[in-house]
Amino acid sequence: MLLDLVDHKESINRLLARYGVKFGIYKNHEFHEQLFPFDPIPRVIPRREFDYLDRGLSQRVTALNCFLEDIYSDKKIVKDGVIPADFIYSSKGYLPQCEGIRPPKHICSHISGIDLVQGKDGNWYVLEDNLRIPSGASYPMIARDLTRQAAPEAFARNHVEDNRGYAAMLRETMEYVSTGGIHVVLTPGRYNAAFFEHSYLAERSGSVLCMPQDLVAEGGKLYYRQYEGRKLQVGAVYRRISDEYLDPLTFLPESLIGVPGIMEVYAAGNVAILNAPGNGVADDKGIYYFVPHMIKYYLGEEPILRNAPTYLAFYEKDRTFILEHLSRLVVKDVSEAGGYGVVFGSNLSREELGALAEAVRREPRRFIAQEVVDFVDLDIVEGEARVPRKADLRAFVLAGETTRVWPSGLTRFSRNPDSFVVNSSQGGGFKDTWVLSR
Amino acid sequence: MGIISVERADHLFWIGRYTERVFTTLVTFFDFYDQMIDVDLEAYKDFCEKVAIPDIYRDREDFNRRYLFDRTDPNSVCSNLERAYDNGIVIRDEISSYTLAYLQLALDHLEAAAGSAAPHYDLQQVIDYIHAFWGCADDRVDDEEARNIMKCGKYLERLDLYLRLGYPFRLIEKEYSKFVNRLGRVRLPYDPVCKAKLDEIFAMGPWWTERRGEALSALWNFFLR
Repeated sequence: MLLDLVDHKESINRLLARYGVKFGIYKNHEFHEQLFPFDPIPRVIPRREFDYLDRGLSQRVTALNCFLEDIYSDKKIVKDGVIPADFIYSSKGYLPQCEGIRPPKHICSHISGIDLVQGKDGNWYVLEDNLRIPSGASYPMIARDLTRQAAPEAFARNHVEDNRGYAAMLRETMEYVSTGGIHVVLTPGRYNAAFFEHSYLAERSGSVLCMPQDLVAEGGKLYYRQYEGRKLQVGAVYRRISDEYLDPLTFLPESLIGVPGIMEVYAAGNVAILNAPGNGVADDKGIYYFVPHMIKYYLGEEPILRNAPTYLAFYEKDRTFILEHLSRLVVKDVSEAGGYGVVFGSNLSREELGALAEAVRREPRRFIAQEVVDFVDLDIVEGEARVPRKADLRAFVLAGETTRVWPSGLTRFSRNPDSFVVNSSQGGGFKDTWVLSR
Repeated sequence: MGIISVERADHLFWIGRYTERVFTTLVTFFDFYDQMIDVDLEAYKDFCEKVAIPDIYRDREDFNRRYLFDRTDPNSVCSNLERAYDNGIVIRDEISSYTLAYLQLALDHLEAAAGSAAPHYDLQQVIDYIHAFWGCADDRVDDEEARNIMKCGKYLERLDLYLRLGYPFRLIEKEYSKFVNRLGRVRLPYDPVCKAKLDEIFAMGPWWTERRGEALSALWNFFLR
């Protein structure tokens, strides 16, 4: 059934190049743009399985939103001893400047990218929650457009949920939280790694792609400056700039890519910022351990989705276990992202294991360790052959009037047969994700 | 009226200018190249002088290669096309992915032509993509003002090059009329003195050449920065 797609691999990749479907990468301080290699064999998720994921992901993001609101206000979860205070206040993602700010409609994580893998036992495991500025939805969106043209029969014969509604979902989310005015996608600029996505999502969602210098905070409102002098009020900013650079008056004063005063407007409730500043406290790899606890605490429900078995070096018992089993665990530095700071104990020499153990002892809060989930391989096309490769799934959950899971997702795969690392910045490719509609 | 910031107006204007620069210099390049085959091997020197770029080229072959394909030469066709693309990519939401794709195709084709046995044949495709770019812009750039800013850039650049390259007056007159037409539909601030001067110079008909320097200066200073 997928033969048509496989036959058109080259044409589809050519079309992706035509539309500039690229990501940027800095090597030796130089910016390079690369095509994001596309594999035509989609990941297929049967309806029932997606319904399960839908429930689990909605539950998880709802709890994470409760957590974020709580952390920047009452901190009940800390007071009740569910999460140690240390995990909040020592997190790089915790921003004291956000204390007391109530985001419009009380939503903090409007666009969440949840990374999952499917184990060989058939179970899905959440590997990571990305609640700051998760990238990737644009790639399967545009790929779907092109694959439908290249192989219409594959779609005529299967019942695949259309994923091109993502832009409408995004627009609706922005409209729901908007404080009145135009909607903008705020990009740091042309040389950002995900610039294609910024520009494409702006185009598709009908938002205005803007640079920091296009915006001005005045009189407690945020405005978009028109070239002839008029100003238009901005109601929602889908910002693709990291928290620390967002506002030089509040965060890093040396930031040249921020909008001075935007935080003051936001704190006054006069603009919505998607996602809310300060979300990093909830997608910290250390906090990940506590998400099932949050679900029980805030929602009174049992978690539907599993975390990968995780140990916190912060706890002495866990630390002892980690040090004893270092060679079989995957150790993650909580301050890193993008596949960096992830070390498989099995790949390390005796000396390297010793150095890692020492680092864990010295800075236990900085590390978590996980059992290596033996996740399923997905076939990719390599030359004339099909070969199995490790692949994950980034599911996108949008929280507006309701919390909705996008019926698709970004499936990333490793092109290296021996690697579990699927990140595009480390040479990975991507696939479309088909959710069957029946 | 669209939602256009200063930055965006600048990108719209310069995508028009750079795309036109690639187009007209390529078309003119072919004329000079033809001469360089067997009439005047050093005709490129005249070309450089006319378009006011430094003659950094060793000989005809060096010019043929570097003026077209050298990324490190800021005056090359390749560099100008990259600048057109750089201006386009930041206004994708305004001009559409479909329109932008023609610049990407032109860039890819120019790059491929560099390695071709007959690069000049392949360059025709680059010109075709630029035609397609403008056709697509007419259809896909919904905001009229944005389209007119792009066209202001395009016609200003064309006029500048036509004046420098000594194009016939009937063509200059036609392009000036197109430029003025677009100018009336945008709110870009311009210097009315420059406009009056250009009106006066072009009213001289074919004798405008006596005031070429003044005309170029008026074009250079036309828009207020």
